[in-house]
Amino acid sequence: MPAAAAGLEAGEPISEQEALRRLRQSDDPSQQYYGAWWLGRMRSQHPEAVPLLQSALRQRRPRDPGAGVEENAVARNAARALGKLAPAAHAAVPDLLDTLEDPDDGLREAAARALGELRAEAAIAPLCHRLAGGPAVAGAQRPDSPRLAEPCEALLEALGDIGRADPQVLAVVEPFISHERPLIRSAAARTLLQLSGDSRWGALLVELLDHPQLQVRRAALMDLGAAGWRPGFEAIAGTLAENSLKLMALRGLVERGRGEPGDGALLACMDALL
Amino acid sequence: MSAVPPATVAARIEAVQRADSALGLLRATQELAACTAPAAAPTLVEVLGFNNPGAAVAAVDGLISLGAAAVEALLQLDPDNYGARAWAVRALAGIGDVRGLELLLDALGSDVAASVRRAAAKGLGQLELGGLPGAEQQGVRQRCLEALLAATGDGEWVVRYAVAVGLESLVAGLPAEALERQQARDALGGLSQGGDDTPPVVQRRAALALSRLECP
Repeated sequence: MPAAAAGLEAGEPISEQEALRRLRQSDDPSQQYYGAWWLGRMRSQHPEAVPLLQSALRQRRPRDPGAGVEENAVARNAARALGKLAPAAHAAVPDLLDTLEDPDDGLREAAARALGELRAEAAIAPLCHRLAGGPAVAGAQRPDSPRLAEPCEALLEALGDIGRADPQVLAVVEPFISHERPLIRSAAARTLLQLSGDSRWGALLVELLDHPQLQVRRAALMDLGAAGWRPGFEAIAGTLAENSLKLMALRGLVERGRGEPGDGALLACMDALL
Repeated sequence: MSAVPPATVAARIEAVQRADSALGLLRATQELAACTAPAAAPTLVEVLGFNNPGAAVAAVDGLISLGAAAVEALLQLDPDNYGARAWAVRALAGIGDVRGLELLLDALGSDVAASVRRAAAKGLGQLELGGLPGAEQQGVRQRCLEALLAATGDGEWVVRYAVAVGLESLVAGLPAEALERQQARDALGGLSQGGDDTPPVVQRRAALALSRLECP
């Protein structure tokens, strides 16, 4: 074992050089997994980071649940890290678009999120293509698992993050407003709100803040925050959920929202939740 | 506020102790909290350790409305029950009784949970110092200030946000020339200018605090 690795226990802080070294070797996928995560988390600006993550993204194979940290897990983390490394990671958009066609839906999900974070307009058409079947096809539950045919939440949210409000995009997203799963409805409403600013989607998210399931209320909080919909601030403050999440949502309203109410009311609302 | 008869308080305490479901505990705690009776404090503190967030929120609200009467019970909390301690910090921060000082300082400086550090930072800015002799007020304020200044480097944005809130309220009542006020303004100035890692919401809150302190 190389000396540099021998002295380090799992979970100990590592240097950028060490993270790059771990990603570069190929004997131990769990080390690559950690190296990829580290580069994204620390937003590494090292010139080798993006090329190494690109090759990690290519190193994938059909899913093998028995394989410990499998190669696809490394590729997933590589995709997630690339999403955090703009602008250098724009060079990796073609690789991420390619990953969007992978048979592993977990990888497609990670690639979609990364493309959204990179605001890659080239991804709009392939994302729409994946969703084009609507709730009954792309959003259908698989016969063999509780997962949906497509990672709809990630695909929808990526379209919102990229932010181009073409009528064709809106037409693809809108049917998901009536998906049977509230988390998918929330993601669709968030995207439509981001793209159109139409308050009826904000009202729909506010309705979901009253949902009996905590998981749904949490998602609606995050989605209102992502869209920065300021008229929802009082409903956010009154939601039955952790104050930490309400504060994150309100931060989104302050930083991403426009118009009324102004910063003063939003900040006072946050102060009361500390 | 009309006082709830002791027999009713006793019955509601028993209802909390007998509750056998999460929802039952939540309802019983809400009823007990609504009594605003000092005799309810030890039971409300007990609820903080039951790992039922809904009931704990109701208990914290009840303890805060009891104010100083709840402090002794809060300080007697089992220090090893981490979950209960986090809720107690929130209650003490809300009450503002100076007997909570040590717990709040400790929480801001070393608690692992950002939600606890954030509550402590706000609480350190709003301790009620009016009942203390002048020299002691000064000493307590100084310790609060030092802890808040140190926490301007906290890794979590929400804690830095709460530090801005705490700094503002800590020095708002001091004369313009007070040294503490100047130190707080310097720290707020730093937060308002941000850095790579200080998000706009923290910068805006610090700028708001600064503008209020500059034009009293």
